[in-house]
Amino acid sequence: MALIEVSNLKKSFGNQEVLKSITFSVDRKEVIAIIGPSGSGKSTLLRSLIHLEEIDDGSICIDGEYLVKDGQYAKQTEIRKITGKMGMVFQQFNLFPHLTVKENLMLAPKLRKTESLGEIEKRCYDLLRKVGLSDKADAYPNNLSGGQKQRVAIARALMLNPEILLFDEPTSALDPELTGEVLKVMKDLAEEHMTMIVVTHEMGFAREVANRVIFMDGGEIIEENEPEQFFLHPQHERTKAFLHKNWK
Amino acid sequence: MVDYWNRIIWPMIEGAQMTVLLFFIVILLSIPLGFLLTLAVKSRFKPLSWLAQLYITVMRGTPLLLQLLLICFGLPMIPVVGEYLVFDRFVAACIGFVLNYAAYFAEIFRGGLLSIDKGQYEAAKVLGLTKWQTTTRVILPQMFRVALPAVANESITLVKDTALLYAVAVPELLHFAQTAVNREFTIVPYFIAGVIYLAMTLILTVFFKWLERRYKYE
Ligand SMILES: Nc1ncnc2c1ncn2[C@@H]1O[C@H](COP(=O)(O)OP(=O)(O)OP(=O)(O)O)[C@@H](O)[C@H]1O
Ligand SMILES: [Mg+2]
Repeated sequence: MALIEVSNLKKSFGNQEVLKSITFSVDRKEVIAIIGPSGSGKSTLLRSLIHLEEIDDGSICIDGEYLVKDGQYAKQTEIRKITGKMGMVFQQFNLFPHLTVKENLMLAPKLRKTESLGEIEKRCYDLLRKVGLSDKADAYPNNLSGGQKQRVAIARALMLNPEILLFDEPTSALDPELTGEVLKVMKDLAEEHMTMIVVTHEMGFAREVANRVIFMDGGEIIEENEPEQFFLHPQHERTKAFLHKNWK
Repeated sequence: MVDYWNRIIWPMIEGAQMTVLLFFIVILLSIPLGFLLTLAVKSRFKPLSWLAQLYITVMRGTPLLLQLLLICFGLPMIPVVGEYLVFDRFVAACIGFVLNYAAYFAEIFRGGLLSIDKGQYEAAKVLGLTKWQTTTRVILPQMFRVALPAVANESITLVKDTALLYAVAVPELLHFAQTAVNREFTIVPYFIAGVIYLAMTLILTVFFKWLERRYKYE
Protein backbone atom coordinates (compact mmCIF):
# COMPACT_ATOMS: atom_id res chain seq x y z
CA MET A 1 0.00 0.00 0.00
CA ALA A 2 1.18 3.49 -0.85
CA LEU A 3 2.36 5.74 1.95
CA ILE A 4 0.33 8.67 0.67
CA GLU A 5 -2.85 8.21 -1.27
CA VAL A 6 -4.79 11.17 -2.59
CA SER A 7 -7.97 10.72 -4.54
CA ASN A 8 -10.35 13.20 -6.18
CA LEU A 9 -9.04 16.05 -4.06
CA LYS A 10 -10.95 19.27 -4.72
CA LYS A 11 -10.24 22.69 -3.29
CA SER A 12 -11.61 26.13 -4.06
CA PHE A 13 -10.82 29.57 -2.70
CA GLY A 14 -14.11 31.43 -2.95
CA ASN A 15 -15.41 30.53 -6.38
CA GLN A 16 -11.95 29.93 -7.82
CA GLU A 17 -11.34 26.22 -8.24
CA VAL A 18 -7.68 25.81 -7.34
CA LEU A 19 -7.42 22.00 -7.28
CA LYS A 20 -9.69 20.04 -9.61
CA SER A 21 -9.96 16.41 -8.67
CA ILE A 22 -6.33 15.53 -7.96
CA THR A 23 -5.45 11.86 -7.69
CA PHE A 24 -1.96 10.51 -7.05
CA SER A 25 -0.03 8.33 -4.67
CA VAL A 26 3.46 8.21 -3.22
CA ASP A 27 5.26 5.09 -2.16
CA ARG A 28 7.56 4.81 0.80
CA LYS A 29 11.08 6.02 -0.03
CA GLU A 30 9.98 7.83 -3.14
CA VAL A 31 11.17 11.32 -3.96
CA ILE A 32 8.54 13.24 -5.91
CA ALA A 33 9.18 16.56 -7.62
CA ILE A 34 6.15 18.70 -8.34
CA ILE A 35 6.67 21.36 -10.98
CA GLY A 36 4.37 23.71 -12.84
CA PRO A 37 3.66 27.34 -13.57
CA SER A 38 2.87 29.90 -10.90
CA GLY A 39 -0.67 29.65 -9.56
CA SER A 40 -1.15 26.06 -10.72
CA GLY A 41 -1.95 24.90 -7.18
CA LYS A 42 1.30 23.22 -6.17
CA SER A 43 1.56 24.89 -2.78
CA THR A 44 -2.12 24.40 -2.06
CA LEU A 45 -1.77 20.68 -2.77
CA LEU A 46 1.25 20.33 -0.50
CA ARG A 47 -0.39 22.37 2.27
CA SER A 48 -3.53 20.28 2.05
CA LEU A 49 -1.53 17.13 2.79
CA ILE A 50 -0.41 18.51 6.16
CA HIS A 51 -3.70 20.23 6.96
CA LEU A 52 -2.59 23.82 6.51
CA GLU A 53 -5.50 24.02 4.07
CA GLU A 54 -8.82 22.21 4.39
CA ILE A 55 -9.98 20.55 1.21
CA ASP A 56 -13.59 20.61 0.01
CA ASP A 57 -13.89 17.07 -1.27
CA GLY A 58 -11.90 13.90 -1.86
CA SER A 59 -9.65 11.78 0.31
CA ILE A 60 -6.16 11.94 1.75
CA CYS A 61 -4.81 8.76 3.29
CA ILE A 62 -1.43 8.80 5.04
CA ASP A 63 0.20 5.53 6.02
CA GLY A 64 -3.15 3.71 6.02
CA GLU A 65 -5.04 6.33 8.00
CA TYR A 66 -7.52 8.75 6.52
CA LEU A 67 -6.84 12.40 7.26
CA VAL A 68 -9.95 13.10 5.24
CA LYS A 69 -12.26 10.62 3.56
CA ASP A 70 -14.71 11.76 0.89
CA GLY A 71 -14.56 15.30 2.25
CA GLN A 72 -15.04 14.23 5.89
CA TYR A 73 -12.12 15.09 8.17
CA ALA A 74 -11.00 12.79 10.96
CA LYS A 75 -11.31 13.84 14.61
CA GLN A 76 -8.95 16.53 15.88
CA THR A 77 -6.76 14.09 17.83
CA GLU A 78 -6.53 11.79 14.78
CA ILE A 79 -5.59 14.73 12.58
CA ARG A 80 -2.76 15.65 14.93
CA LYS A 81 -1.51 12.10 14.94
CA ILE A 82 -1.65 11.75 11.16
CA THR A 83 -0.10 15.11 10.29
CA GLY A 84 2.57 14.37 12.92
CA LYS A 85 4.01 11.82 10.49
CA MET A 86 4.95 14.64 8.17
CA GLY A 87 7.36 17.51 8.39
CA MET A 88 7.33 20.60 6.24
CA VAL A 89 9.97 23.02 4.98
CA PHE A 90 8.80 26.40 3.74
CA GLN A 91 10.12 28.76 1.12
CA GLN A 92 10.45 31.52 3.74
CA PHE A 93 12.08 29.18 6.33
CA ASN A 94 9.74 30.30 9.13
CA LEU A 95 12.35 29.83 11.83
CA PHE A 96 11.43 31.26 15.22
CA PRO A 97 13.50 34.46 15.36
CA HIS A 98 13.44 34.76 19.16
CA LEU A 99 15.02 31.34 19.64
CA THR A 100 18.56 30.22 18.90
CA VAL A 101 19.19 27.52 16.32
CA LYS A 102 19.39 24.91 19.03
CA GLU A 103 16.21 26.15 20.69
CA ASN A 104 14.43 26.11 17.33
CA LEU A 105 15.31 22.45 16.95
CA MET A 106 14.49 21.46 20.51
CA LEU A 107 11.24 23.34 21.10
CA ALA A 108 8.79 20.87 19.58
CA PRO A 109 10.42 17.68 20.92
CA LYS A 110 10.65 19.25 24.37
CA LEU A 111 6.96 20.13 24.37
CA ARG A 112 6.09 16.64 23.16
CA LYS A 113 7.78 15.19 26.24
CA THR A 114 8.40 11.72 24.84
CA GLU A 115 12.17 11.84 25.29
CA SER A 116 14.57 13.00 27.96
CA LEU A 117 16.23 16.36 27.53
CA GLY A 118 19.57 14.61 27.10
CA GLU A 119 18.30 12.52 24.21
CA ILE A 120 16.75 15.55 22.54
CA GLU A 121 19.96 17.50 22.89
CA LYS A 122 22.01 14.69 21.47
CA ARG A 123 19.79 14.37 18.41
CA CYS A 124 19.86 18.12 18.02
CA TYR A 125 23.65 18.15 17.75
CA ASP A 126 23.64 15.08 15.49
CA LEU A 127 21.28 16.78 13.07
CA LEU A 128 23.15 20.07 13.15
CA ARG A 129 26.30 18.15 12.24
CA LYS A 130 24.43 16.44 9.46
CA VAL A 131 23.37 19.74 7.88
CA GLY A 132 26.84 21.20 8.50
CA LEU A 133 25.90 23.75 11.15
CA SER A 134 27.45 22.40 14.35
CA ASP A 135 29.09 25.76 15.00
CA LYS A 136 25.80 27.67 14.75
CA ALA A 137 23.91 26.00 17.62
CA ASP A 138 23.79 29.17 19.70
CA ALA A 139 23.31 31.66 16.86
CA TYR A 140 20.02 33.43 16.26
CA PRO A 141 18.34 32.96 12.87
CA ASN A 142 18.78 36.65 12.05
CA ASN A 143 22.53 36.12 11.97
CA LEU A 144 22.41 33.27 9.44
CA SER A 145 22.49 33.34 5.66
CA GLY A 146 19.44 32.12 3.74
CA GLY A 147 21.07 28.81 2.95
CA GLN A 148 21.97 28.27 6.60
CA LYS A 149 18.44 29.16 7.70
CA GLN A 150 16.94 26.64 5.34
CA ARG A 151 19.30 23.94 6.57
CA VAL A 152 18.26 24.73 10.13
CA ALA A 153 14.62 24.49 9.03
CA ILE A 154 15.27 21.05 7.55
CA ALA A 155 17.02 19.91 10.72
CA ARG A 156 14.13 21.26 12.81
CA ALA A 157 11.65 19.23 10.75
CA LEU A 158 13.84 16.13 11.12
CA MET A 159 13.86 16.45 14.92
CA LEU A 160 10.38 14.94 14.98
CA ASN A 161 11.46 11.88 12.97
CA PRO A 162 8.88 12.36 10.22
CA GLU A 163 8.07 9.59 7.76
CA ILE A 164 7.49 12.13 5.03
CA LEU A 165 9.07 15.51 4.36
CA LEU A 166 7.26 18.13 2.32
CA PHE A 167 9.25 20.96 0.72
CA ASP A 168 7.57 24.01 -0.78
CA GLU A 169 10.13 25.71 -3.04
CA PRO A 170 12.90 25.37 -0.45
CA THR A 171 15.46 27.24 -2.54
CA SER A 172 13.33 29.92 -4.21
CA ALA A 173 14.08 32.59 -1.61
CA LEU A 174 17.83 31.99 -1.80
CA ASP A 175 20.58 33.70 -3.74
CA PRO A 176 21.67 31.35 -6.53
CA GLU A 177 25.04 30.66 -4.94
CA LEU A 178 23.31 29.41 -1.77
CA THR A 179 20.89 26.91 -3.35
CA GLY A 180 23.59 24.28 -3.71
CA GLU A 181 24.16 23.76 0.02
CA VAL A 182 20.42 23.21 0.60
CA LEU A 183 19.99 20.89 -2.39
CA LYS A 184 22.98 18.90 -1.13
CA VAL A 185 21.26 18.28 2.22
CA MET A 186 18.08 17.23 0.41
CA LYS A 187 20.05 14.91 -1.82
CA ASP A 188 21.62 13.29 1.24
CA LEU A 189 18.14 12.73 2.65
CA ALA A 190 16.99 11.16 -0.61
CA GLU A 191 19.96 8.82 -0.49
CA GLU A 192 18.91 7.78 3.00
CA HIS A 193 15.51 6.96 1.49
CA MET A 194 13.48 9.63 3.18
CA THR A 195 10.10 9.93 1.50
CA MET A 196 9.93 13.45 0.10
CA ILE A 197 7.60 15.61 -1.94
CA VAL A 198 9.37 18.65 -3.31
CA VAL A 199 7.69 21.54 -5.06
CA THR A 200 10.54 23.10 -6.99
CA HIS A 201 11.71 25.22 -9.86
CA GLU A 202 15.06 23.46 -9.80
CA MET A 203 14.80 21.29 -12.90
CA GLY A 204 18.30 19.96 -12.36
CA PHE A 205 17.38 18.70 -8.91
CA ALA A 206 14.12 17.21 -10.18
CA ARG A 207 15.90 15.35 -12.92
CA GLU A 208 18.79 14.15 -10.82
CA VAL A 209 17.20 13.29 -7.49
CA ALA A 210 13.48 12.65 -8.01
CA ASN A 211 12.10 9.19 -8.75
CA ARG A 212 9.07 10.75 -10.35
CA VAL A 213 8.09 14.18 -11.63
CA ILE A 214 4.56 15.50 -11.45
CA PHE A 215 3.62 18.40 -13.70
CA MET A 216 0.66 20.54 -12.63
CA ASP A 217 -1.16 23.25 -14.51
CA GLY A 218 -4.45 24.97 -13.82
CA GLY A 219 -5.20 22.88 -10.73
CA GLU A 220 -4.72 19.55 -12.47
CA ILE A 221 -1.99 16.96 -12.78
CA ILE A 222 -1.20 17.10 -16.48
CA GLU A 223 1.54 14.52 -16.62
CA GLU A 224 3.66 12.38 -14.34
CA ASN A 225 6.61 10.25 -15.24
CA GLU A 226 10.07 9.18 -14.20
CA PRO A 227 12.54 12.02 -14.74
CA GLU A 228 14.36 10.76 -17.85
CA GLN A 229 11.12 10.16 -19.71
CA PHE A 230 9.57 13.30 -18.37
CA PHE A 231 12.32 15.65 -19.43
CA LEU A 232 13.37 13.96 -22.67
CA HIS A 233 10.00 12.77 -23.92
CA PRO A 234 7.24 14.93 -22.50
CA GLN A 235 3.88 13.74 -23.76
CA HIS A 236 1.58 16.65 -23.23
CA GLU A 237 1.64 19.93 -25.16
CA ARG A 238 1.43 21.99 -21.98
CA THR A 239 4.36 20.09 -20.49
CA LYS A 240 6.41 20.70 -23.60
CA ALA A 241 5.61 24.40 -23.55
CA PHE A 242 6.51 24.64 -19.84
CA LEU A 243 9.78 22.77 -20.25
CA HIS A 244 10.64 24.81 -23.29
CA LYS A 245 10.31 27.97 -21.24
CA ASN A 246 11.87 26.78 -17.98
CA TRP A 247 14.52 24.25 -18.88
CA LYS A 248 17.14 24.09 -21.55
CA MET B 1 21.27 76.45 52.11
CA VAL B 2 20.06 73.81 54.55
CA ASP B 3 17.00 75.91 54.95
CA TYR B 4 16.46 75.97 51.19
CA TRP B 5 16.77 72.23 51.11
CA ASN B 6 14.24 71.73 53.91
CA ARG B 7 11.69 74.18 52.63
CA ILE B 8 11.75 73.55 48.91
CA ILE B 9 13.67 70.57 47.65
CA TRP B 10 12.76 68.02 50.27
CA PRO B 11 8.99 68.42 49.88
CA MET B 12 9.43 68.12 46.14
CA ILE B 13 11.37 64.88 46.48
CA GLU B 14 8.62 63.57 48.74
CA GLY B 15 6.13 64.62 46.07
CA ALA B 16 8.20 62.80 43.49
CA GLN B 17 7.73 59.63 45.52
CA MET B 18 4.01 59.92 44.87
CA THR B 19 4.78 60.28 41.18
CA VAL B 20 6.97 57.19 41.21
CA LEU B 21 4.40 55.22 43.18
CA LEU B 22 1.68 56.09 40.71
CA PHE B 23 3.98 55.21 37.84
CA PHE B 24 4.68 51.69 39.11
CA ILE B 25 1.08 50.98 40.05
CA VAL B 26 -0.14 52.07 36.62
CA ILE B 27 2.54 50.15 34.68
CA LEU B 28 2.05 46.97 36.69
CA LEU B 29 -1.72 46.98 36.30
CA SER B 30 -2.32 48.53 32.90
CA ILE B 31 0.05 46.28 30.94
CA PRO B 32 -1.72 43.04 31.94
CA LEU B 33 -5.10 44.71 31.58
CA GLY B 34 -4.09 46.03 28.17
CA PHE B 35 -3.05 42.57 27.13
CA LEU B 36 -6.41 41.15 28.23
CA LEU B 37 -8.07 43.87 26.17
CA THR B 38 -6.02 42.81 23.13
CA LEU B 39 -7.24 39.26 23.61
CA ALA B 40 -10.81 40.54 23.91
CA VAL B 41 -10.45 42.49 20.67
CA LYS B 42 -9.10 39.36 18.98
CA SER B 43 -11.86 37.21 20.46
CA ARG B 44 -14.06 35.25 18.09
CA PHE B 45 -17.01 36.10 20.35
CA LYS B 46 -18.04 39.24 18.48
CA PRO B 47 -19.90 41.15 21.22
CA LEU B 48 -16.83 40.94 23.46
CA SER B 49 -14.63 42.12 20.61
CA TRP B 50 -16.92 45.06 19.84
CA LEU B 51 -17.13 46.03 23.49
CA ALA B 52 -13.35 46.01 23.80
CA GLN B 53 -12.96 48.08 20.64
CA LEU B 54 -15.55 50.58 21.84
CA TYR B 55 -13.74 50.83 25.16
CA ILE B 56 -10.39 51.45 23.48
CA THR B 57 -11.89 54.05 21.14
CA VAL B 58 -13.51 55.98 23.99
CA MET B 59 -10.47 55.86 26.29
CA ARG B 60 -8.09 56.96 23.54
CA GLY B 61 -10.49 59.44 22.05
CA THR B 62 -11.14 61.54 25.15
CA PRO B 63 -8.68 63.50 27.30
CA LEU B 64 -7.15 61.66 30.23
CA LEU B 65 -7.78 64.76 32.33
CA LEU B 66 -11.49 64.56 31.61
CA GLN B 67 -11.49 60.89 32.64
CA LEU B 68 -9.66 61.73 35.87
CA LEU B 69 -12.04 64.54 36.76
CA LEU B 70 -14.97 62.25 36.04
CA ILE B 71 -13.69 59.50 38.33
CA CYS B 72 -12.54 61.81 41.15
CA PHE B 73 -15.36 64.33 41.15
CA GLY B 74 -18.04 63.04 38.78
CA LEU B 75 -18.78 59.58 40.10
CA PRO B 76 -19.70 60.72 43.64
CA MET B 77 -22.31 63.02 42.13
CA ILE B 78 -24.27 60.18 40.52
CA PRO B 79 -27.62 59.84 42.35
CA VAL B 80 -28.10 56.84 44.68
CA VAL B 81 -24.86 54.93 43.88
CA GLY B 82 -22.64 58.02 44.02
CA GLU B 83 -22.01 57.82 47.72
CA TYR B 84 -20.43 54.38 47.27
CA LEU B 85 -18.13 55.73 44.56
CA VAL B 86 -16.12 58.08 46.72
CA PHE B 87 -12.56 56.78 46.68
CA ASP B 88 -9.43 58.11 48.19
CA ARG B 89 -8.22 60.72 45.69
CA PHE B 90 -5.01 58.84 44.93
CA VAL B 91 -6.84 55.54 44.48
CA ALA B 92 -9.33 57.22 42.16
CA ALA B 93 -6.50 58.70 40.13
CA CYS B 94 -4.80 55.30 39.91
CA ILE B 95 -8.01 53.77 38.58
CA GLY B 96 -8.30 56.49 35.98
CA PHE B 97 -4.71 56.11 34.81
CA VAL B 98 -4.89 52.32 34.68
CA LEU B 99 -8.13 52.33 32.68
CA ASN B 100 -6.71 54.86 30.25
CA TYR B 101 -3.27 53.38 29.79
CA ALA B 102 -4.66 49.87 29.37
CA ALA B 103 -6.38 51.10 26.21
CA TYR B 104 -3.09 52.40 24.81
CA PHE B 105 -1.21 49.25 25.70
CA ALA B 106 -3.96 47.16 24.11
CA GLU B 107 -3.41 48.98 20.82
CA ILE B 108 0.35 48.56 21.09
CA PHE B 109 0.06 44.82 21.68
CA ARG B 110 -2.46 44.45 18.87
CA GLY B 111 0.05 46.11 16.57
CA GLY B 112 2.68 43.66 17.82
CA LEU B 113 0.44 40.71 17.02
CA LEU B 114 -0.27 42.04 13.52
CA SER B 115 3.44 42.22 12.79
CA ILE B 116 3.89 38.48 13.29
CA ASP B 117 4.06 36.59 10.01
CA LYS B 118 1.49 33.86 9.45
CA GLY B 119 4.39 31.57 8.63
CA GLN B 120 5.17 31.50 12.37
CA TYR B 121 1.76 30.00 13.13
CA GLU B 122 2.14 27.53 10.27
CA ALA B 123 5.61 26.44 11.33
CA ALA B 124 4.33 25.91 14.87
CA LYS B 125 1.39 23.91 13.58
CA VAL B 126 3.42 21.55 11.39
CA LEU B 127 5.74 21.01 14.34
CA GLY B 128 2.75 19.74 16.29
CA LEU B 129 2.48 22.59 18.80
CA THR B 130 -0.95 23.08 20.32
CA LYS B 131 -2.71 26.45 20.07
CA TRP B 132 -1.71 27.25 23.64
CA GLN B 133 1.93 26.28 23.09
CA THR B 134 2.01 28.31 19.90
CA THR B 135 0.67 31.35 21.70
CA THR B 136 2.90 31.17 24.75
CA ARG B 137 6.13 29.90 23.17
CA VAL B 138 6.10 31.45 19.72
CA ILE B 139 3.70 34.37 19.41
CA LEU B 140 3.77 36.23 22.74
CA PRO B 141 7.55 36.47 23.08
CA GLN B 142 7.71 37.99 19.62
CA MET B 143 4.75 40.25 20.27
CA PHE B 144 6.33 41.71 23.43
CA ARG B 145 9.62 42.17 21.64
CA VAL B 146 8.00 44.08 18.79
CA ALA B 147 5.98 46.16 21.26
CA LEU B 148 9.00 47.10 23.38
CA PRO B 149 9.88 50.47 21.77
CA ALA B 150 6.25 51.59 21.84
CA VAL B 151 5.92 50.47 25.46
CA ALA B 152 9.03 52.50 26.25
CA ASN B 153 7.48 55.55 24.64
CA GLU B 154 4.23 55.10 26.50
CA SER B 155 6.05 54.74 29.83
CA ILE B 156 7.87 57.99 29.32
CA THR B 157 4.60 59.70 28.49
CA LEU B 158 3.19 58.26 31.70
CA VAL B 159 5.91 59.87 33.80
CA LYS B 160 4.92 63.25 32.41
CA ASP B 161 1.18 62.50 32.61
CA THR B 162 1.51 61.97 36.35
CA ALA B 163 1.58 65.77 36.53
CA LEU B 164 -2.18 65.56 35.92
CA LEU B 165 -2.48 64.50 39.56
CA TYR B 166 -2.07 68.20 40.23
CA ALA B 167 -5.49 68.83 38.71
CA VAL B 168 -7.23 66.41 41.05
CA ALA B 169 -5.35 67.77 44.05
CA VAL B 170 -3.21 64.78 44.88
CA PRO B 171 -0.01 66.22 46.33
CA GLU B 172 2.76 65.18 43.94
CA LEU B 173 5.93 66.71 42.59
CA LEU B 174 4.30 69.52 40.65
CA HIS B 175 2.02 70.41 43.54
CA PHE B 176 4.97 71.02 45.85
CA ALA B 177 6.79 72.94 43.16
CA GLN B 178 3.81 75.25 42.71
CA THR B 179 3.41 75.71 46.45
CA ALA B 180 7.06 76.66 46.75
CA VAL B 181 6.82 79.08 43.87
CA ASN B 182 3.87 80.82 45.48
CA ARG B 183 5.39 80.92 48.94
CA GLU B 184 8.99 81.81 48.12
CA PHE B 185 8.26 84.03 45.19
CA THR B 186 10.89 82.35 42.98
CA ILE B 187 10.67 80.27 39.83
CA VAL B 188 13.56 78.03 40.81
CA PRO B 189 11.21 75.20 41.98
CA TYR B 190 9.88 74.87 38.44
CA PHE B 191 13.37 74.12 37.21
CA ILE B 192 13.98 71.70 40.03
CA ALA B 193 10.76 69.91 39.11
CA GLY B 194 11.88 69.81 35.48
CA VAL B 195 15.20 68.28 36.46
CA ILE B 196 13.49 65.63 38.56
CA TYR B 197 11.11 64.67 35.70
CA LEU B 198 14.05 64.62 33.34
CA ALA B 199 15.99 62.33 35.66
CA MET B 200 13.06 59.92 35.86
CA THR B 201 12.55 59.78 32.09
CA LEU B 202 16.28 59.36 31.52
CA ILE B 203 16.42 56.41 33.88
CA LEU B 204 13.50 54.85 32.00
CA THR B 205 15.10 55.49 28.64
CA VAL B 206 18.31 53.81 29.73
CA PHE B 207 16.38 50.88 31.18
CA PHE B 208 14.38 50.29 28.00
CA LYS B 209 17.45 50.65 25.80
CA TRP B 210 19.03 47.95 27.89
CA LEU B 211 15.95 45.74 27.53
CA GLU B 212 15.94 46.23 23.77
CA ARG B 213 19.58 45.27 23.51
CA ARG B 214 19.10 42.34 25.84
CA TYR B 215 16.29 40.96 23.65
CA LYS B 216 17.69 41.81 20.26
CA TYR B 217 17.88 38.16 19.18
CA GLU B 218 21.05 38.69 17.26
N1 LIG C 1 -5.38 31.73 0.88
C1 LIG C 1 -5.78 31.93 -0.40
N2 LIG C 1 -6.89 32.64 -0.66
C2 LIG C 1 -7.31 32.84 -1.93
N3 LIG C 1 -6.68 32.36 -3.01
C3 LIG C 1 -5.56 31.64 -2.82
C4 LIG C 1 -5.05 31.40 -1.51
N4 LIG C 1 -3.93 30.65 -1.63
C5 LIG C 1 -3.75 30.45 -2.95
N5 LIG C 1 -4.73 31.04 -3.67
C6 LIG C 1 -4.86 31.00 -5.14
O1 LIG C 1 -4.86 29.65 -5.53
C7 LIG C 1 -4.12 29.49 -6.73
C8 LIG C 1 -3.07 28.45 -6.53
O2 LIG C 1 -2.12 28.94 -5.61
P1 LIG C 1 -0.83 28.14 -5.17
O3 LIG C 1 -0.11 28.97 -4.19
O4 LIG C 1 -1.21 26.77 -4.74
O5 LIG C 1 -0.01 28.07 -6.54
P2 LIG C 1 1.47 27.58 -6.78
O6 LIG C 1 1.42 26.56 -7.85
O7 LIG C 1 2.11 27.19 -5.52
O8 LIG C 1 2.15 28.89 -7.37
P3 LIG C 1 3.63 29.48 -7.12
O9 LIG C 1 4.55 28.75 -8.06
O10 LIG C 1 3.50 30.92 -7.48
O11 LIG C 1 3.99 29.28 -5.69
C9 LIG C 1 -3.59 30.85 -7.12
O12 LIG C 1 -4.45 31.39 -8.11
C10 LIG C 1 -3.68 31.63 -5.85
O13 LIG C 1 -3.94 32.98 -6.15
MG1 LIG D 1 3.65 28.01 -4.30
